[in-house]
Amino acid sequence: MRSFFGLFYIYLPHGFVLLFMGLWGAILGFIAWWMILFTGRYPQSFFEYQVGLQRWQMRVNARYFNLTDGYPAFGIDSKDEVITFEVPYPEKLSRGMLLVRAFFGWLYVLIPHGIVLYLLTLAVLVVWFVGWWIILFTGQLPAGMHNFIVGYMRWTTRVNLYMGNMTDTYPPFSLD
Amino acid sequence: MEFHPLPQPHEITEREKEDAMGAYLMMFAAVAIGLPLPIINLIAAIIYYFVNRKKSRFIHFHCLQALLSNIPTTLINWGLVIWAVRNFIGHHEWTETFWAYAIFAGLATFLYFIVSLIAAYKARHGKMYYFLLFGKISYEAAYRVRPNDEPGTEPVNKPPF
Repeated sequence: MRSFFGLFYIYLPHGFVLLFMGLWGAILGFIAWWMILFTGRYPQSFFEYQVGLQRWQMRVNARYFNLTDGYPAFGIDSKDEVITFEVPYPEKLSRGMLLVRAFFGWLYVLIPHGIVLYLLTLAVLVVWFVGWWIILFTGQLPAGMHNFIVGYMRWTTRVNLYMGNMTDTYPPFSLD
Repeated sequence: MEFHPLPQPHEITEREKEDAMGAYLMMFAAVAIGLPLPIINLIAAIIYYFVNRKKSRFIHFHCLQALLSNIPTTLINWGLVIWAVRNFIGHHEWTETFWAYAIFAGLATFLYFIVSLIAAYKARHGKMYYFLLFGKISYEAAYRVRPNDEPGTEPVNKPPF
């Protein structure tokens, strides 16, 4: 059902709203960059918005990858009983790291992580396709496949958080 | 006309100060999404105002002042964009008047940027900063005592019969 009609009742309505919420997130992210540069802090309400936005995208992605059933909730403040996503608010962020990330982030984050994540994306697509058939016949996704896709989502989210200046911790090359 | 007392910087939380500061930085919204259209800044300021105005009077004041001060700059720049597009598409002459208006728009925007940055700095430190005209309007809107400020005992939701 989700595979054939999900486009209409999940991905299009969520995607439409997320497009505009994402634009707003981009504006807040840009402004937050300047605020971090001058104050050393990510404005807390901006931070909570970005976390909520990521959580929302994760809820939709989890359905896309058939990790769970149910309809993803709309809204920045909404939560999902099967998806947990919390990011501790950093009281202080390094301004030096902010500049390093802005000018050299592509070199030490996007290229190494990008190459690995590109290969992982291909693997995830294969796993997703195989998993779809397994779910169709057995009614469940094998734990290994489930953990692999979840690990991939975790990894991409960590890179997004780091490049979005929401943490100073360099994202590990790990699915855990 | 009665007004609520103004909070002093030490009474305002860090979060309120940041939210108030953010209002003035909406002038960079168009840059953030890569569309050099002045209307984007105004839309961002409007959204920011409606999202944050209920948080506190201090935030309400700064959001409204940032929004109102955005309007003249947007109109001036929008006029420039329309005029430039009309000249470009219609192959009209780039007259002296156009360049004079362009310089005026540039100076007005520059002045707006400077004043907004000062206001953002003040807001970050929990201070009030009043723009000419807009400061007074915003202060009245945010701090005026209204009869329905205190929640009444009269229930809002009632059954249909």
